[in-house]
Amino acid sequence: MIDHSLTIPPMVALVFHLKQGFWLYGWPMIIGFVTILGYQALGRVVMMGAAKWPVVFALASVVSMISLFGWVTMVRFIGMIPLYGCGVGLASAMMSRIYAVTMPIHPKLKMPIIRVIWRGDAEGIQKLQQALRARV
Amino acid sequence: MKLGLFLLLVSLALEAQGPVPRLAPDLKIVEASGKATMLSAFRGRVVLFAFISTQCAHCQRASTVFEQLSHEFRDHLQVAEVAFDQDADTTVFAKRFGLSFPVGIGTSEVAHDFLGIARGERLGTPQVVVIDRSGVIRAQSERLGSPILQTYDYLRELLKALIKLQVTR
Repeated sequence: MIDHSLTIPPMVALVFHLKQGFWLYGWPMIIGFVTILGYQALGRVVMMGAAKWPVVFALASVVSMISLFGWVTMVRFIGMIPLYGCGVGLASAMMSRIYAVTMPIHPKLKMPIIRVIWRGDAEGIQKLQQALRARV
Repeated sequence: MKLGLFLLLVSLALEAQGPVPRLAPDLKIVEASGKATMLSAFRGRVVLFAFISTQCAHCQRASTVFEQLSHEFRDHLQVAEVAFDQDADTTVFAKRFGLSFPVGIGTSEVAHDFLGIARGERLGTPQVVVIDRSGVIRAQSERLGSPILQTYDYLRELLKALIKLQVTR
């Protein structure tokens, strides 16, 4: 309760409420989203069987660290739970539309880059299946 | 209908706390050393006062903000705190967080009475109170706490407004 007859610049209160809004509502959503995105991407990279074990190890470590870091910073009050759920839901819905995640070597950069193959990308799916058959 | 009205009145009564602005009740701040100061002795200066729990992380963080503000407005501001948690060691608390203002020891009942909240009601800490030079409470935390009254930027503007207000009067 603040005496409203006092003239305090409204910007200070606005900045405070924006920051609080981000940490209470935006942050849990981001954490939920990044956690699912990370675990699903990890799962798919592992399933492809093309990544070397140190890469898998590093990726798994980073993803679990991000997830735990998020939990430590976000468990403040019960109102954060629905937005965490929304983040998880959004990431799961997005990942359900992804057919595969591959890491082909970039022809110019000569380093592996992440490539997402979406379910609607018939050509990409066909190429991937051919590459997998060729490997077998 | 009547039941709804009754429940509404009960819930409003439970939420009740002293109105703002209002004249601050007097309070004896007794430090661990035995030194006692009346809150009214600070009249003439803007007072940033808080009821805290020495174990509460928010109170610890807020105390360091108060210390910073006490230096920034050293000519116009008096900061004081009263810890009301059981077995509070205010000497260790003040030393640990480098506090130069008085930190007294009190009881939950004293805090409730000062804040105008019914005894036994749960309080969020810190309970921050800002008192102007004439001894009127101009800002007070909500019963379960007000994070805005623990932030440096907002308190700084609030104190500046109060200091300026007194000068122009």
